[in-house]
Amino acid sequence: MDTIICNHCDMVSTRPILRSGQVAKCPRCHRAFFKTNTLKANKMFALAITALILIIPAFTFPLMSIHLLGITEGANLLQGALMMIEGAPVVTFVILFCAVLVPTLLTLCIAYSSASIMLGKRPPLLGYVLKLTSSLIHWSMLDVYLISLLVSAVKITSDADVYFSSGLCFFVVLLIVNITLISEYSSTKYWKYLRNE
Amino acid sequence: MNEPLTPGISAIQQDRQVCLVCNMDSSISENPEICPCCHSDIAPRIKRSQQKTWALLITAMIFIIPANVYPITYLLKNSTLYPDTIYSGLITLIRNDQEGIALIVFIASILVPIFKILALAFIALTVHFRWQLNPKKQFIAFSIVEWVGRWSILDLFVISIMVAVFDKGSLVSVYPGIAATSFTIVVITTLFAAESFDTRLIWDSNNNAK
Ligand SMILES: [Zn+2]
Ligand SMILES: [Zn+2]
Repeated sequence: MDTIICNHCDMVSTRPILRSGQVAKCPRCHRAFFKTNTLKANKMFALAITALILIIPAFTFPLMSIHLLGITEGANLLQGALMMIEGAPVVTFVILFCAVLVPTLLTLCIAYSSASIMLGKRPPLLGYVLKLTSSLIHWSMLDVYLISLLVSAVKITSDADVYFSSGLCFFVVLLIVNITLISEYSSTKYWKYLRNE
Repeated sequence: MNEPLTPGISAIQQDRQVCLVCNMDSSISENPEICPCCHSDIAPRIKRSQQKTWALLITAMIFIIPANVYPITYLLKNSTLYPDTIYSGLITLIRNDQEGIALIVFIASILVPIFKILALAFIALTVHFRWQLNPKKQFIAFSIVEWVGRWSILDLFVISIMVAVFDKGSLVSVYPGIAATSFTIVVITTLFAAESFDTRLIWDSNNNAK
């Protein structure tokens, strides 16, 4: 009999046979075990490459600009974090980590592991890449950043005129791709591939 | 290959452990330290989970005080420096009739950090003293802490956007205060506290876990 052990509550249960679209959940703590339909490696790779292309404009183009007393000023994501490096280096580091470093590294990792499956190779680095993916996956916070941007825009409207700029379009598409990558990533599948099962 | 496991019972009672990195299970007695599949460190339960959680929670409890007392941002306007704490920032938002934004900031900056610390401390105490509360309910509370936790970083992102928008060159500029760093420490320590807490202990400490 094939069994599965829950990561969250340690209970052993019988591995269910799923029809497509179903999600297996732990009977004791109700956390999801696995899904049947996850994207194929070639689609994951295409998404990861799309994300990598989007990252540059999304982080460096102005996300919004303000018009105050005849002066227009834009702000991009990197600028926002780096401008505090003298006064509050810890804050700068955490913002860069959650909003820039993790999303970028995570995308690179998924590109690497999906490309490995696509090409049918098992490079020695793959194990490390999968380990890095599992430790980074909870630290990607682009969704929180988007809401922060909206909160800031509304806050500023009481002092100045706010306009959204070109970078925001890239950022929103990047966020959608990023969320899809994270929810479709199945670590079990990639580890199984590495073990050649 | 391996002895078949009995469903409905914890794996630890059947000499099995799951690797949290690669999700493979292995025998506890045969693999006391290293996962045979991915060679990460392995243990049936996260090592010193309770101590790590408490150390991080206590750090968060200390830093939440300066985070709320000291100015989180400074506004420089007509060469006068106006300090703003989390609380005074909220009052300004309400005065400017921006109640919706005030509510979001209140939830992310005040309610969520306090709720996270209290909920995690309560679950950790329940496990430690074996209070026999419903494990499912404790786990739901933990899941809420886990999900809601990342949103407390919102105010830090907002500060960075404000700093970038109100640049040094213009007539109005914004600078981060000491509380911004204290608040960052609260956010990070509570996130790590949740990560280091082993939820399987909730069921271990329950005498008739089912
Ligand atoms: Zn479970
Ligand atoms: Zn492993």
